[in-house]
Amino acid sequence: MTTSPNIDTRPRWTGAVLGRLRPRLGSGTAIGLILPLGLFILWQLAATYQWVAPVFLPSPLATATAFWTMLTRQHLLNDFIVSISIVSQAFIYGSALALVLGIAAGLSRRVEQFFGPTFDTIRHIPGIAWLPLIVLWLGIGAPAKVVVIAKSVFFPVFLNTLQGIRNAEKRYVELAEVLTLTRWQLIRRVLLPSAVPSIMVSLRYSAGLAWALVVVAEGLSGLEGIGFLIFRAQGLLLTDQLVVCMVIIGLVGFAIDRIMYALQRHVLRWKQGFDG
Amino acid sequence: MTTNQGSVDIRNVAKQYHVDGRPLNVLTNVNLHVAPGEFISIVGPSGCGKSTLLRLILGLDADYGGDILLDGEPISGTSLDRGIVFQDHRLLPWLTLEGNVQLALENAGLAKAAKRQTVADHIRLVGLQGFESVYPHQLSGGMAQRGAIARGLVTRPRILLLDEPLGALDALTRLRLQEELVRIWKAEGVTMILVTHDVDEAIYLSDRVVVMNSDPGRIVEEIPVNLPRPRDRTGAAFGDIKRRVLGLMGEYDLEVA
Repeated sequence: MTTSPNIDTRPRWTGAVLGRLRPRLGSGTAIGLILPLGLFILWQLAATYQWVAPVFLPSPLATATAFWTMLTRQHLLNDFIVSISIVSQAFIYGSALALVLGIAAGLSRRVEQFFGPTFDTIRHIPGIAWLPLIVLWLGIGAPAKVVVIAKSVFFPVFLNTLQGIRNAEKRYVELAEVLTLTRWQLIRRVLLPSAVPSIMVSLRYSAGLAWALVVVAEGLSGLEGIGFLIFRAQGLLLTDQLVVCMVIIGLVGFAIDRIMYALQRHVLRWKQGFDG
Repeated sequence: MTTNQGSVDIRNVAKQYHVDGRPLNVLTNVNLHVAPGEFISIVGPSGCGKSTLLRLILGLDADYGGDILLDGEPISGTSLDRGIVFQDHRLLPWLTLEGNVQLALENAGLAKAAKRQTVADHIRLVGLQGFESVYPHQLSGGMAQRGAIARGLVTRPRILLLDEPLGALDALTRLRLQEELVRIWKAEGVTMILVTHDVDEAIYLSDRVVVMNSDPGRIVEEIPVNLPRPRDRTGAAFGDIKRRVLGLMGEYDLEVA
C-alpha cells in the first residue's frame, strides 16, 4: 500500500551542521552587528573629539597599532596559546571526570550519597580561593591553573549529568524493560541520551566559565598568558595593550560559545524545541 | 509464520492495588483463552482494569494472583515473544525510525545482515519505506504509530499486545490504520490482543470482543464477531453487536431509555 504521509520535506535530517546553521548566519547576523558597530562608532567619536583622555581610552587605531606591536615585537601569540592551552586542558579533564562521576552518581544513589557531602562543600569554595594553596603546591606555572579551572568546570557538568540521568522518562525505562535491554544497554541507549540535553547546556556554560577564569588565574599568578598581559598593562598604564587584551578575551569567549552552540545543535539534532 | 503458536491462557487472574492502605480490586477472577492467530479486543469503561491486564500479560508487573500462560508456559518478566504497541508511540526521540525498530532486536541474537534485513522488511510492512533515517519528531502521529507497530513486530513475537494504539489519532488516520492492522495481522499471522475504548474499532478488527466492567474489574462477556471481512461498519449485523457490547458496558441503556 502507499501512503502520502505529510512530512516536513526540508532536508533537516541530512545531518549537515552547516545546513542547520545557515539561517542563523544569514539575516540573524546582520541584526546582531548593529549594536557592536554602534559601539565602535561611539568609541571612535570619543577618541576623535577627546571626550576621554587617550591614556584612559586609546583610539581604535592606537589599539590596532598596539595589537600589531604586541603580535610582532612581543609574544602575544605565545601568551594566547598559553591561555588557550590551560583552558582546553582544564575543560577536558574537568568535564571528563565530571561525566564519569556524574553518570556513576546518576545511576546509583549510593555513589551519590558517598560523594554528596564532600562535593557540596568543595563546590562552595570558589576556584580562585583554591588557587593560593594549589600554587604553593604546584608552583605558578600552568598545572595549578589547570587544576583550579578544572574544578570550576567539574561541578556544573557533574550536577547536570547526574540530574539529566535522573530525569530520564519512566516510560522509556519501561520500554527498555519490554525490549529486554540489559543494564548496560539501558544506560547507553536510554539513560545517557536522555541526559545529553542537560549535559550539553552545562558543557557550554562551563566552557565560557573556564575562559573567564583563566584570565583571573593568570592575573593572580604567573608570568604569561592573556590574563597576565592585561594586569601588566594596567600596572604600566599601557591602556592600548589593555584594550587589546579585552577585545581578544571577548572575541575568544564569543567564538567558544558559538562553537559549543553548534556542537549542541548537532548533537541534539533529534530534538525539536522552540526555535524563537 | 507462527500461526501454530501464540495461544494465551489467563486463569483466575486477580490484581489488587492498595490505595491509602485499603485494597482496591483492579481485576478479579479473570479467565480468558486466546487461540493462536486470533485477534481479540478487550473493551470496557475506564477503570475496568483492561490496561492493567495487558501490563500483566506483557510481564511488567509480576504482583498478581492466578496464572498467565503463553503456549502452555507460565510467563515470567518481559520477553521478545510478547510485543507491545503503546498508546503513545514511545519511539525514542534520539534514534531514527530505523534505530528505533532495530533497538528491539538488540538481544534477538541475529547476525548483523539478518538484523538489517528484518528491520527493512518490517518498515516496509508498515509502509514507512523511505523514512528510515527520519527522527520521530519529524513523523506525523499516524506514521509514528506505524513505526511503533514495526518495532512491536520486528522480533516476530508470538503475540502482539496493543494498548489503545490508535486512541490518540484523528478519526481518519484511525480508520486507515485499522485497515492496516487487519492487513498486517493477516500477513504476519500473529495473535493480537487489542485494548481499546472504541467499540466500533473492536468489532471491526477482532474475531472476538471481550467486554470488561469495573468495581471490581472483571470480564462480563465474550462476544464472537462472525462477520466476513472486510466488514461493513454500517450494517445491521454490526449494529446488533455494537448494541450488545454497549449494553454490557452499561452505556447504551441510558441513551435508548
